[in-house]
Parts: sequence; C-alpha cells; structure tokens
Amino acid sequence: MKSPVGLNVVGVVVGATLFYTYIGQLVPQKELRPPAVIAISADMTPAQLAVIGGKIANDKGMCLTCHTVGAPPGPRRFPDLAGVADRAKTRIAGVDQREYFAMSLCQPDAFVVSGFVKGMPTINKAPIGLTDQELHAVIAWLESQGGQPTITLADPLPRCGAAS
Amino acid sequence: MNRRAIGLALIAAVLALGAVVRVWTALNDRAYRSPIASSEHLPVPRDRGLAEIKQAEEAAAAAKPYEAPAYRTFPFAPSRVAVWIAAQLHLMFAAFVLAVPMFALIIEFIGYMTGDKRYDRLAYEFTKLLSTSFSFTASFGGLLTFLLIMLYPAFMNYLMSVFSPTFLPYALLFFCEAGFLYSYYYGWGKFHPLVHLGLGLGINVVGTAIMVIANAWASFMMTPQGVAPSGALIDLYAAFDNYSWMPINIHRFIGNIAFGGSIAAAYAAWKFLHATSDEERAHYDWMGYIGNFVAIAAFLPLPFAGYYLAKEIYAYNQALGIMMMGGAFSWLFIIQAVLIGNLFLAANYYLWLGMGRIDGVQAYQKYVKYLLGAIAVCFAVWATPHSLVATAGEIRNMGGTVHPILGYLGVMSAKNTAVNVLILTTYVSFLFYRRTGKQPTVSWARTGHVAQFLIFAVATSIVIFYGIYGYFVEAAVRISFSVPQVGTVLVAMAAMTVIDVFLMRGSAALGETRWGSVPASSQYCLIFIAVTFTWLMGLMGYVRSGLRSHWHVYGIMADTSVDAFTPTLGYATQIISVCVLLFFSLIAFVFWLASLHDKPDWGGAPSAPDAHAHEPKKVAAVT
Repeated sequence: MKSPVGLNVVGVVVGATLFYTYIGQLVPQKELRPPAVIAISADMTPAQLAVIGGKIANDKGMCLTCHTVGAPPGPRRFPDLAGVADRAKTRIAGVDQREYFAMSLCQPDAFVVSGFVKGMPTINKAPIGLTDQELHAVIAWLESQGGQPTITLADPLPRCGAAS
Repeated sequence: MNRRAIGLALIAAVLALGAVVRVWTALNDRAYRSPIASSEHLPVPRDRGLAEIKQAEEAAAAAKPYEAPAYRTFPFAPSRVAVWIAAQLHLMFAAFVLAVPMFALIIEFIGYMTGDKRYDRLAYEFTKLLSTSFSFTASFGGLLTFLLIMLYPAFMNYLMSVFSPTFLPYALLFFCEAGFLYSYYYGWGKFHPLVHLGLGLGINVVGTAIMVIANAWASFMMTPQGVAPSGALIDLYAAFDNYSWMPINIHRFIGNIAFGGSIAAAYAAWKFLHATSDEERAHYDWMGYIGNFVAIAAFLPLPFAGYYLAKEIYAYNQALGIMMMGGAFSWLFIIQAVLIGNLFLAANYYLWLGMGRIDGVQAYQKYVKYLLGAIAVCFAVWATPHSLVATAGEIRNMGGTVHPILGYLGVMSAKNTAVNVLILTTYVSFLFYRRTGKQPTVSWARTGHVAQFLIFAVATSIVIFYGIYGYFVEAAVRISFSVPQVGTVLVAMAAMTVIDVFLMRGSAALGETRWGSVPASSQYCLIFIAVTFTWLMGLMGYVRSGLRSHWHVYGIMADTSVDAFTPTLGYATQIISVCVLLFFSLIAFVFWLASLHDKPDWGGAPSAPDAHAHEPKKVAAVT
C-alpha cells in the first residue's frame, strides 16, 4: 500500500532530526563548568603551590587549551612547556626566570619567542583574570617544568602591576 | 420503593448531613472568648496579639529595601533553555523573512526584464509565505525580549546601558519593514512594476539594516569592544563595530539566503507531492529547483564566510579560537561535517535526479559515479576526527587517541582540502545539469571544453597541493594557506561559469525539459535538505553562543546563574532538535495557510470576480 504523503514528509523531518540527535550522542560528552575557586594559603610551600598551579593551568588559567607539555616534536602553534624552567633563565639577557614568567603571563606581547606569533592573552586581566595568589601558583608550576619550584606567596611579582 | 419514600429519605439524609456538619463545626470552634457576658465584641489577648503581628508585618513591608534581582527562574524549564528555544525560533523565522524577499525580488526583476509571467508568478508564490512568517518572527522576538527581561534583568540592564541608542532606530525600522512587506505583498499587480520592485528593494534594505543592528548586540556579547574592563561604555561605535560584527553580518546574510532557499524549496516539494495536475507538478518542480538552486548557490561560499568569522575570533582572543576549534567545541565540528557532508550529497543527488527530466541526459550520466566517489571521499575526510573515541585497549594499541594514519586526516589541512574539493565537485554537478540536453554550436566549443577541464584540474591540484604542503610548515604559515585554496576555488568557478555562458549561448536543444517528471524521491530530498540546513543553523547558533562559556559578555560580565555552565554536546543536540521540530511544525502551518489561498471559497460558491485579480495569471511552467 502506498503510504500517505503527509506521513512520509513527517517521517523525513523527524527521521533526519533524530539521526542528527543520535550523532550528537556519539561524540565525547564534556560539561564545562566555571573555574573552581582553589584555596591558597600563605604558608604553602613552593611544591604545594606548584601542584595547585598545575590545576589552575588546566582549568581557570586555560594554559593547556593552547600549550602542550611534552608533546612529540613537530610544527606547533604555541610553545611546548616541557623544560620551560631552564629556557626561561636565559631567554632574555638580564631577565631572570621569575621575571620572565611574570612577563609572559602579565605582559605577553612584550616578548614573543622566535617562530611564534602574538596571541597569548594577559592572564591577570579578564576573561581569565588570575589573582595574585593564582599567578604565584602558576609560576611555581612553570618552575617545576624541568626545575625545582622556589616561589612563595611572599615573593613579589615584577611586571604584574596591581595584581602583584 | 415509591417516589415519596425516596423524597423523604433524601430530606432525612440532608438533615443528617447538616447535623453532622454543625456538630463538627461546634467541636472545632476553639477560639477563646471573653468570660464577660456582653453584646459588644471585646478584644481578647489573642486578638491583640494578632493585630500586633499584622502591624509588624506592615511595618516590615514598608521598610523593605528594593533589591534588583540578577536572575529569576523560569517555571517549567531551566531559564537558559527557555531563552535558547525562543531565540532560535526567532532567528529561524527572521532568517526566512530576510532571505525570501531577496530572491523574490531578483526573480520578479527577471520576470520584468524578460516579460516572462512565470517568473512573476514564482516570485508571488515565494512572497505568499512571508506575511505569516513575519508575524511569527515578531512574536518570537517579543517573547525572547520578555523572557530576557524577566529571567536575566541585570544582563539586559547592562546591554541597554551600552546599546540603548540603537533601540529606537531598530523599532522604527520594524515599522518600515512591515510597511514595505505588506505593501509588496498586497500591492502585487496594483502598482507600476518598477514601483513594486522599489517596494521589494525597500524590504531588503530595511531588513538588512534590522539584521546588522541585532548582530551588533549578539556579536558584542562574544567579542566586546568599546567598553572599559569594568563594562562602562567608552565608544558606542567600537562596541557596535566589534571584531565579529562584520563577519557575522556576512555569514548571516549568505546563510539566510541558503536557509530561505531551502525552506522555499521544501514548500515547493510539499506542493509538488500534493499536486493533482501535470501543470501544478511542473510549476512546483520548477519552483523547487529554483529554491534549491538559490540555497546551494549561497551555500557554496558559506564556508569561506565561516573562515572569516573564525579568523576574527582568533584575532580577538586566541584562547577563544582554540576553545572553538581545538578545545571543548572541537567535536561539534565533526557533527557539522556530517551535516555539511549530507547537504553536499543530497544537493548532488537532487541535481543528478533532475537530469532525468531533460532529454539527452546519457552524455553526462556516466560521470555521476566519479562525482559520487569524490564526494564520498571528501565527506569521509571531513568527518574524521583528530583524536578518536576509543576503548582503553584501542588507545593503548594506537599509542594515544590519535590514530597513526587517520590522525593525519583530522587536521585542518585535510579538512580545508576536502571542503574545497567538495565545493568544486558540486559545482561540476551543477555544470553537468546545466548542459544536459544542450549541444554547443560555437566554433570554439572543443577549446572551451578543454579550457574548462584544465581550469578544474589545475584548481583541484592547487587545492590538494596546499593541503599536503600544510603538513610540512609551521601552524602560522599553514593557517594562511586557506586563503589561496579558497581563492583558487572561487576564481575557478567564476572562470568556468563565464566560459560556460558564452559556450552555451545559442546552443542547440537535444530535447525537451519535462518539468514535473522527476521522481517523488527528489522532493523528499529537498525536504531533507531543508531539515539539514535548519539543524545546521541551530548547531552553529549554539557554538557561537556557547563559546562565551560562563560569560554573558565575554570577559566583561560573568554569568553567575545556576545555568552558568556549558552543557554536553549530546544535551545541546537534543535542544537543537526540539527547536527544529518546533520550527517545522510552525512552518507547516505557514505552508497550510499559504495553500488556503488557492482553495475554493467555503460552500463551493465561486470566488468574487476580482478576489484574486491581483494574482499573476497561471501559466504552464513546462518549457
């Protein structure tokens, strides 16, 4: 028996819609929540700060949205952060490791690594807007990438303006 | 039992019930009464206590400070979902209402220039769909505004503080749009053709102006400019002309035409499937073809407008761009690839079926299998994700989520190449369709064919070359390759079209085009294309809005409501499907209303002599 046209049309509309909905269920399901507030206390050691800094880098700081850590060699859009603690010591003459990290986070356009283009957001401004304590934690984490973290919350952060 | 006894029993039952109620009331009346016997009502301590409580409540109410709420809750669903559905339906109807007058005007203009009444009738047929759709657009716009004011008052207050100077022009333009649209529709055949065309131009100019104003609000939310970090307005023009405003204007302008064309084609398909005469079938087959042609012609440059939008988003904020293409939303683009792949497949399938209505189709039918092969390969490349959804064992075997071979197809170099070849292939399908049943008569016909083939071959080679070369250069260089790829495809299509126009001028007809002789599956194909376009529109609307994550205005005003999270793609696709089904339910109503126009008057009475005098005369569409 020939099916009525109206029913066929409804079948095409609903069938196609259900098919696309089904495709939507097949891909990985991830829910993005606003960044969690992580408590940072003044008596934390650099190692403890580095652990928290790693979490911030992966969440509120959005560092790992663009950067990789220990990715295989090859063309990439942003510098890989593995071993960055060593490179930061000698990247700019007269700028020590901590100042280099602070400059990279708070004044990202002041120096761009050769082979890459501008694009790093200012981390202590909106929309990322890391606080002074969070900046310390992220720097501790960066120091731990190929080195030993030494920073504490009592240390001043050059180049981070009012946030330091 | 006689009636008297029943009556007495009823009276007894009522009296007994009354007695029970009275006793119950007396037993429950526990209010304290003063022990002094008096006819006056004397306040007891309880009355005084109650009065004091009431007084205190009144005093508290009078002293209550006003606190503007940041959010309110929608009663039946999450507030965001309510706004999402209202906004999406508003956008879908708005896109349709903005797009249809564009091609209705062009078709009417062709009719005016050629004197062919078929075009006039076709333009009128498209315009018939507009009046109800315009009402739906305005109704959903009103609903959206009220929902936003009700559910997100603080956000709306902020948006008004920035854009209030644009609201009055926007409202006034709506009046103008209504004036032009209804004059255009009801004035069909009543004015001099040029005056009528002027009214059509008015709808388009005003409609576009409405769109660009609304786009400024939406794009500001994603890439705000012209405001201080605190959100205070510094420069209204900069807020209006923000990074993503112009790309969104262009993207929506083209996208609306593609969407409107597909919906109009679906209407024609619906009418074709219900047609009772060959004349009707011929007319609606032709109308469906034109609607689909408009949709696909606008669809081909749409990816390029998408690149421009993405480029500006990256330029505004790299993290935003990375999140879109490589982060949380990257899988959304695999769903998009499935949708666009289906659109290309369906569009080509429709063209191949359409060749059957023309005599002399055999010359080109043999190439269809190669075109299908190219489309299938490109579709597969485009839909290949960079990292695969795999089990723990599979990931272990692959050494990660990136497949050692297929992983190469998951990057932009491969995808850009695939989409450009898809566009070229679809264009060739169209070229074959256009040539079917015709024999060029110009002396340089062979040279022309060779030139067209060479252009196609060179363009494809350039696109593939850049696609492969992209694997060997830095990302900053690779990104720029999309420009020569896109440019090559556009230039090739333009060059082949120009050659074809001159090549086929004065060509000999090998046979007749039998409009209306296509199989019914071609019409269901048109409806499928319309559903896919609508779903795609919903999906891309979601990514544009969802990209802001937990911000109302990115980096300026945070969303602190309970809905301040980005839902899973699975959930998002369910909401998109709800929007699509609601839209098609409503557009079916629009189609039905438009069809009433052609039905005989109630009671079978003949129509008033001049009731449809403004309609263009029906002319057989068979050529």
